[in-house]
Amino acid sequence: FLGAGGGNDIQWCFSQVKGAVDDDVAEADIISTVEFNHSGELLATGDKGGRVVIFQQEQENKTQSHSRGEYNVYSTFQSHEPEFDYLKSLEIEEKINKIRWLPQKNAAQFLLSTNDKTIKLWKISERDKRPEGYNLKEEDGRYRDPTTVTTLRVPVFRPMDLMVEASPRRIFANAHTYHINSISINSDYETYLSADDLRINLWHLEITDRSFNIVDIKPANMEELTEVITAAEFHPNSCNTFVYSSSKGTIRLCDMRASALCDRHSKLFEEPEDPSNRSFFSEIISSISDVKFSHSGRYMMTRDYLSVKIWDLNMENRPVETYQVHEYLRSKLCSLYENDCIFDKFECCWNGSDRQVIFNRTVTFFLPPLCSIVMTGSYNNFFRMFDRNTKRDITLEASRENNKPRTVLKPRKVCASGKRKKDEISVDSLDFNKKILHTAWHPKENIIAVATTNNLYIFQDKMN
Amino acid sequence: MLGKGGKRKFDEHEDGLEGKVVSPTDGPSKVSYTLQRQTIFNISLMKLYNHRPLTEPSLQKTVLINNMLRRIQEELKQEGSLRPVFVTASQPTDPLGDNFREAQPAFSHLASQPLLPTDLVSTTPLESCLTPASLLEDDTFCTSPTVQHDGPTKPPPPALQPVKDSFSSALDEIEELCPAPTSAEAVAAAETAAHDSKDHPSESNVQKPEGLPEGRTAESKLMDSLPSNFEITTSTGFLTDLTLDDILFADIDTSMYDFDPCTSATGAASKMAPVSADELLKTLAPYSSQPVTPNQPFKMDLTELDHIMEVLVGS
Repeated sequence: FLGAGGGNDIQWCFSQVKGAVDDDVAEADIISTVEFNHSGELLATGDKGGRVVIFQQEQENKTQSHSRGEYNVYSTFQSHEPEFDYLKSLEIEEKINKIRWLPQKNAAQFLLSTNDKTIKLWKISERDKRPEGYNLKEEDGRYRDPTTVTTLRVPVFRPMDLMVEASPRRIFANAHTYHINSISINSDYETYLSADDLRINLWHLEITDRSFNIVDIKPANMEELTEVITAAEFHPNSCNTFVYSSSKGTIRLCDMRASALCDRHSKLFEEPEDPSNRSFFSEIISSISDVKFSHSGRYMMTRDYLSVKIWDLNMENRPVETYQVHEYLRSKLCSLYENDCIFDKFECCWNGSDRQVIFNRTVTFFLPPLCSIVMTGSYNNFFRMFDRNTKRDITLEASRENNKPRTVLKPRKVCASGKRKKDEISVDSLDFNKKILHTAWHPKENIIAVATTNNLYIFQDKMN
Repeated sequence: MLGKGGKRKFDEHEDGLEGKVVSPTDGPSKVSYTLQRQTIFNISLMKLYNHRPLTEPSLQKTVLINNMLRRIQEELKQEGSLRPVFVTASQPTDPLGDNFREAQPAFSHLASQPLLPTDLVSTTPLESCLTPASLLEDDTFCTSPTVQHDGPTKPPPPALQPVKDSFSSALDEIEELCPAPTSAEAVAAAETAAHDSKDHPSESNVQKPEGLPEGRTAESKLMDSLPSNFEITTSTGFLTDLTLDDILFADIDTSMYDFDPCTSATGAASKMAPVSADELLKTLAPYSSQPVTPNQPFKMDLTELDHIMEVLVGS
């Protein structure tokens, strides 16, 4: 039964890789965010140079039923430019921190992109026809001499080469003193939140000169600051509910109906520390780098430095599931602190909707959640998947080597200690410069996008 | 970090510090625990103060590093209050110990604080480390509440005064002995440094309108980097960058820490011996335009060194 298998039943195949081949990475090309749109037809990436590149999936070729459509470049535009803060004499990076798509309402596509300080709403629209046959203008736009006009004609639309235009429709600026780490669109599709280190603001998509502060954890005396906001997200179904995570490993769920300023949480999710694992770095590795609700909204997933945790919204005192991403790094924390890798912010994602299963792309079954897999990145260009039902996990590598289209990826294994088996990689051989921080899962199909430093890999499950 | 992508190998040395978590109460592994703690402390300090980005540093990272430093300092404080300051337990609280403890700050700024054995570290030396110039200034040092951290202000012990006076005069002597341009600069720099530290209380008031006392704890000085970065300026302290960086991260002579008070023949005087003219001159190095590394032979006679030693020791 296709599509309903567990993580290990899915055989992942290399599909495509985008980006420069050479090892010398241009700083501006470093991918900083990856996001599918709601249909999965479009895949957006943001980079450190402030650019957004959108890929579009080819329409399925009926004759080529053995592979899904390829993703090709659809639109590229410069979303943010570097700025200079004259007051503090500091540069404001143009790096795109997050992209979030709006659901499609008409022919055009809309997305929000943000850097550290400013959020922008971009409209991406297609133009494949243009009017021709003006009476007063030549085709190149020059005005005709009126005396040469002898007949009257009606301009008509003629097809032209597809042109995709991106234009900024709204600019939401000057609302954040600190660095924006998250944006999340509300299920009402009219409002969205933006979170920085100390505050969360609520915006209306139509209004750019005003935002409402809904969370403020800045202490009166900055000397007392010991905790910052690391991520925030709206509940997928409940438009008054959102969560935010902190650098101390806590998640707070807030209800906007309770009060205007949601400084008092409705729920506080925190797991007590395991005393046997206590170290100098306990706090740092507990810092949550990403939080994502499940599609149903019943669960949420958090990523801290070494693990992925699944929380049931009805249980605050501990997660229901914990998956170790790279436990072999626990004994290396001091080195990872020294080289700053301990501060790397890994993201995580759920597999496609856990409510519907697409069979042969023609029949859609709506089943209770059957296949639930979570994915996150690691070092050495490895990424990990955990099947919540079978409890099996797999480690795969995003690499150009030995990756021909439709070749099944070979599972990888890291040897923590002791004798290294063949094909295993020892911890000391891991390349900590090759980190996979951003991954995305197609909302409906088993297609994943995995970003290495400057390349975007697309993998699909093997069909047939 | 993003060079040619070569495989990164872990330092063998680093591995030696890693490993299972050791609790501070384990006997034999206490040394490795304190060693690891000290290393982490050093690394944390360097991260906070060695970073000169063009863009604002990550607040999350700064907060996490600050928390780390605070935790270690708390631990040290607790350990310091439970045990005597000496490395050995053979000399518990006695006047000598007190003198040493209080005199210590006078010299601690000459050493690079972060590498002091943990037992000899209290919050005061750290602060001294961060504001060495202020210690050259009698007023700031004597009235700083952090020096008398165990209670209300009390007059500094008499042992201190002669030391400071002799220190100042020793400073002058050294400057006379140094080549003319550097001595002039050194004097000017010392005066500027003294001036700066006089200014710093007001500077700090400008930066912190919430009204903090002048002699803040090390934590608050660390936290300065937060509001400074995000509210007003990017300055991470009230000293000039040159002074702070050079004093903190100048090449470090660890010979002092090899000194074991247990084995010294004489009493209190020997405790002060480790703080040699070497340390003194290293402090002066930033003030001179010529970079002076500890390995460079100094331009002074050994006799001059001895003379200074005697002056410092007060014998």
